[in-house]
Amino acid sequence: MTHADSDPANAIEIDPLLQEVMGPTPGQLLRSRIVGHQGLVIGVVVLTIMVIIAIFAPLIAPHDPYAQSLMARMKPPVFLGGTWEHPLGTDHLGRDYLSRLIYGARVSLLIGVIAATISGVIGTAMGVAAGYFGGKVDAVVTFLINVRLAMPVVLVALAVVAILGGSLTVVIAVLGLLLWDRFAVVMRASTRQVREREYVAAARAIGASTPRILLTEIMPNIANNLIVVVTLEMAHAILLEAALSFLGLGVQPPTPSWGLMVSEGKNMMLFEPWLVLIPGAVLFILVLAINLMGDGLRDVTAPENRS
Amino acid sequence: MKRTSLKLSIAALALSAAGAMPVLADKASDTLNVAFTKELENVDSYFNSSREGVVMQRAVWDGLIYRDPVTNEYKGNLAESWSWIDDTTLEFKLRQGITFHNGEVFNADDVVYTVNFVADEKSGVKTQRNVNWMKSAEKIDDYTVRIHLKEKFPAAIEFLSGPVSMYPNEYYAEAGPSGMGLKPVGTGPYKVTEVIPGQHFKLEKNENYHDSPKGQPTISKIDIRTIPDVNTQIAELFSGSLDMIWQTPADQAEKLAQMGNFTVANESTMRVGYLAMDAAGRSSMDPNPFTDVRVRRAVNHAIDRKAIVDNLLKGSSKVINTPCFPSQFGCQEDKAVSYDYDPEKAKALLAEAGYPDGFKTEFYAYRNRDYAEAIASYLNAVGIDTDFKMLQYSALRELNMKGEVPLSFMTWGSYSINDASAMVSQFFKHGSLDDARDDQALADLTVADSSTNPDERIEYYGKAINRITDQAFWAPMFSYNTNYVFKTDVDYQPTPDEVLRFTTMKWK
Repeated sequence: MTHADSDPANAIEIDPLLQEVMGPTPGQLLRSRIVGHQGLVIGVVVLTIMVIIAIFAPLIAPHDPYAQSLMARMKPPVFLGGTWEHPLGTDHLGRDYLSRLIYGARVSLLIGVIAATISGVIGTAMGVAAGYFGGKVDAVVTFLINVRLAMPVVLVALAVVAILGGSLTVVIAVLGLLLWDRFAVVMRASTRQVREREYVAAARAIGASTPRILLTEIMPNIANNLIVVVTLEMAHAILLEAALSFLGLGVQPPTPSWGLMVSEGKNMMLFEPWLVLIPGAVLFILVLAINLMGDGLRDVTAPENRS
Repeated sequence: MKRTSLKLSIAALALSAAGAMPVLADKASDTLNVAFTKELENVDSYFNSSREGVVMQRAVWDGLIYRDPVTNEYKGNLAESWSWIDDTTLEFKLRQGITFHNGEVFNADDVVYTVNFVADEKSGVKTQRNVNWMKSAEKIDDYTVRIHLKEKFPAAIEFLSGPVSMYPNEYYAEAGPSGMGLKPVGTGPYKVTEVIPGQHFKLEKNENYHDSPKGQPTISKIDIRTIPDVNTQIAELFSGSLDMIWQTPADQAEKLAQMGNFTVANESTMRVGYLAMDAAGRSSMDPNPFTDVRVRRAVNHAIDRKAIVDNLLKGSSKVINTPCFPSQFGCQEDKAVSYDYDPEKAKALLAEAGYPDGFKTEFYAYRNRDYAEAIASYLNAVGIDTDFKMLQYSALRELNMKGEVPLSFMTWGSYSINDASAMVSQFFKHGSLDDARDDQALADLTVADSSTNPDERIEYYGKAINRITDQAFWAPMFSYNTNYVFKTDVDYQPTPDEVLRFTTMKWK
């Protein structure tokens, strides 16, 4: 046995094949790529903080987000001359702005996660089926994707919410049922590529059933694409919820939602711009973090696709 | 420090806006620039139900009678005098020598034509209540006219001094409502020179305006634009391209007043906000807590109306205990049962009614989301869990007519008619909007509405008000106010009826 690392003098003589074997493992490589990817690190850290804040909202929030105090309306935040009693000031009904922001994170993340999950399940099922089976299944799915792409999401969401009335459940359901198009398109294309691979042919040759091939051969190999689409659609759903709530058709008061907070602050925009800027900035940061994470994951898991 | 820099940046913004826009406004060009928030559907006042339409109507047309907004005294406008011939016939002596803006002479034919046209249901006047009490008009001679009523209607004079204005017969027969909407012709203090429907209206002083109790107009030109967004209105006010805005929300008005460059005037209006409850149990809610008087009283006790008035509505708004506006004839505050803010009592009443842990209900509103939210928060505090739904007025009204609304925050402006019948009789006489369907209130109101004896009317409105408030069919909330913001070189005294009167505006 040659101890290459303990004897630097012999290192030059090492067989290149051996050197490859002795190099960092794929796991180590992945880890170093993750740590070296600034965008990904920032995205993950910010998102983790937001998730922790959302989960532990009742412990973190300094006040009850629903407690109104009409005597203490629109108190400015600390950096504009307010007091530490309300670090980010109070809204138009005297409710603590920081507490509403913290509870609002719950609404945004909940909508993002659930809507992306629902549309992910629908879109992936359709895309994988179309890509794997091809033929008539593909034709039907492609038709459905085209139909869906022809409908403007915001208008359809607006119309449905206007008819059914706005509530958290309705918004989640509507967005979940509308945002599956990108999943279907991407999953269909990825499945078509993977379907032709040798390991799929091998699995088929040893007599594996179709569900088994789909779940254990196809899915793991298209999962990295799926993760990227999930993050994109999460960000998309969060922004749409904010837009619907801003228009008064999303989450209904008194539930704190960032979009609703922007909408409520809008009238006083000229005199108290922070009422709009604070929730707007937080929304921006969350969506940016999710997108950074999605981009980073794609770079890290599939570097060969990145020029 | 930071706040000042903020103000400066706003000022800079306003200045840059001023540079970009041609400044047509101001005293020098004798043009007053005004903004309307809502689009006007039709300038023809009989085919319009918005407040902006009322403003135009008072400027462009005249009625037979005029009510002085300060003294509430009825004065002859197009009519010199009037008298009741019997309970259902009014005779008018018309003023002579008045011409319409197009030169047509005003006489009995115009009155007869206008009344017969609007009283006919087929003409489709938008607010039927304004005109459907008239049967027909009859010409006695060129300057004498009789109006026949369908039945006894004590508020006739009030309506004739308000929404019923006189149109030129020859022109209207030819142009019709749509022609009138594009090229309005009246006898009023201002004539319309340009109409871009829904957006822009230009008015010019009527030099030949008759000796009317409205007074003589002084400002030569009025330029009205529709600007729906309050922030845009304020920015244009800063930049000088607007001289006057109105219906400005309380918070913004307060900030504008602090700046010192503008006059901010506040006047109460007849609009009353109230919570309507499904006391008759028409909605599909089961069990329906609102059929229990204790629950309705609990709702009344749960809301701190004074805090809402002091902090949200501000200005000259008041806490209201009556199902009508107190200045209205017959609306007597001392007959109303009032409910103090007492959340403990509200909880006790709910427990007594069998809801110790409260209950969940849908809660509808159509305007002033912030007031509705504040009300909902007070209800939540005593255990009434609200599922808040904000709808358009027309949608909520339709739902209300079907009786599917358990609890809603509504308002009523009585069309500025200073008579209790315009509000309490509108809602408690078993019409489709009546949530209470109370026989005793119906009986009292029927007597009050049709009596021509003022004392009897007062007595029976009092009885009805007592019954309605004792049973807490509604939770009356507060009266509204309107803010008028104008440049300091404009001289104007707003009136409590929410009508902009260009005739009484002057430059300082």
